[in-house]
Amino acid sequence: MSAIGAQDLSALIQAMAERVAAEREALNRLDAALGDGDHGTSISTAFAVAVEEIEALEQPSLNAIWLATAKALMNRMGGASGAIFGTFFLKGVATLRDADRLHKDAMGALLAAGLEGVKARGKAGVGDKTMVDALAPAVAAFGAADEFASAWRAAAAAARTGAESTRDQVARQGRAKFLGERAIGQQDPGATTIALMFEASHLWWKENKQ
Amino acid sequence: MTARVHKLINRPENLVDEMLEGFCAAHSDIVRLVDKRLVMRAQPKAPGKVGLIIGCGSGHEPAMTGWIGEGLFDVNIAGEIFAAPGPALMVQGIRAADNGGGVLICVSHHAGDLLNAELALELCEAEGIDNVDMVLLYDDISSAPKGREPERRGTAGLFFVWKLLGAFCEGDGDLAAAKALAEKVRDNTRSLAMSLSSCASPVTGEVMFEMAPGEMEIGMGLHGEVGMGRQKALGADETIDLMLPPLLEDLPFQAGDEVLVLLNNSGSLTLMELFVLYRRAAAKLAEAEISVYRSWIGPYATTQEMAGFALSLCRVDEQMKALWDAPANGAYMKQL
Repeated sequence: MSAIGAQDLSALIQAMAERVAAEREALNRLDAALGDGDHGTSISTAFAVAVEEIEALEQPSLNAIWLATAKALMNRMGGASGAIFGTFFLKGVATLRDADRLHKDAMGALLAAGLEGVKARGKAGVGDKTMVDALAPAVAAFGAADEFASAWRAAAAAARTGAESTRDQVARQGRAKFLGERAIGQQDPGATTIALMFEASHLWWKENKQ
Repeated sequence: MTARVHKLINRPENLVDEMLEGFCAAHSDIVRLVDKRLVMRAQPKAPGKVGLIIGCGSGHEPAMTGWIGEGLFDVNIAGEIFAAPGPALMVQGIRAADNGGGVLICVSHHAGDLLNAELALELCEAEGIDNVDMVLLYDDISSAPKGREPERRGTAGLFFVWKLLGAFCEGDGDLAAAKALAEKVRDNTRSLAMSLSSCASPVTGEVMFEMAPGEMEIGMGLHGEVGMGRQKALGADETIDLMLPPLLEDLPFQAGDEVLVLLNNSGSLTLMELFVLYRRAAAKLAEAEISVYRSWIGPYATTQEMAGFALSLCRVDEQMKALWDAPANGAYMKQL
């Protein structure tokens, strides 16, 4: 039965970091329409720090890897995005306890705890033009599948569809809230990053675990 | 197409660190730099007094580094450009500002500033650091309607909170009293901003939003957040005549009130323009029988080279006037 161990989880974070770095300029361009234009730069820098800190861990348990990622995003990125992306990882940590392998349902619980944390922290729901628009359907799709391969595939597709749905929305949280109707037509960069993270996970699974 | 603005900086990733090193070297009699991101008073205040901290995004100089010093803040925690610092750095700042009288985190209301302050408070609780509180501050009337004040953004008018609260915390008031004073100043302060141009992000080099020449927008936020819509740029008097009435109505400021006035330069307006604007504002306030106790004109919270200004008013009573007149010695806020 397939499962994710500590080495796998570091590789997964690394795959996310690489994918976000590759899309850095595209994310900056999306953010230019809705924010400061630096989302790609700040999230790729923070993910790179997460990878470094995971490599430096003396005891790279699942718990330590997920926590290091939370801290890197929160503290290196700063701003609302750092707090919210950091919270996604931080709230999952408690579900890991001292587990050394994650089966599909445990991975689903980890992601679901992160989603709940993000919703509470950012006071955003589906339709508010935030990362929740990609994260909520991805977590639901992951949970509904019965094994890893189809879970990652469905989650990646749902995250992408969710991210694209933000184009038609007016923002109700964060700085873009103050853009009103001007935000329509622009895809949310945070939701796009979530889609990239799930797509990276799906590809990593396909190439390494199937 | 977006134009690029050349900025005299080095590598963008080193920008905040290099700026803070330069600032603290230039004002070493007032501030010192700790752990790269904490700008602290060179001389800490006496033990037992409430410590005041603020974490905020960089790029708005001289806010808030210029407000560290006697009669003002104890510690500024500097974030990346336009991004509030993360919670670990905030907690370091809280520890650094603790003189035994507790620490008040001042939050200029923006999503990132608030979320990271909340996270920092959670970390403090987990680490057993008590006697820490936060106060949420806002002043921009264009960002949410009357009746929904707590949704409003924190902008230039918080200048009055910084000065009055800083003076208050040199005294013997406790943490709860400091928070109450901050809320009192906030609840008597209103601001409205306008802009004639965009500015470039020093991180990406790209302009932050498009603004056609000959246009202006009233109610724009510190980062180009949308206000009351674009319109043809007007002259100084007409601009003040559009901005002052909604500002007066919002509190409302009434005949017989005494106010502090700030004209904050967002970046690249000239002092000449600000004096012409102030002339009209003063005349209109006199017409409304509102007397000006003190006024300030200058770049206190900027957004790079954005051309625009904010008009801020704070209604004062005798306590607040005395706090205004109390001494302050920050690099960019001095009161003799």
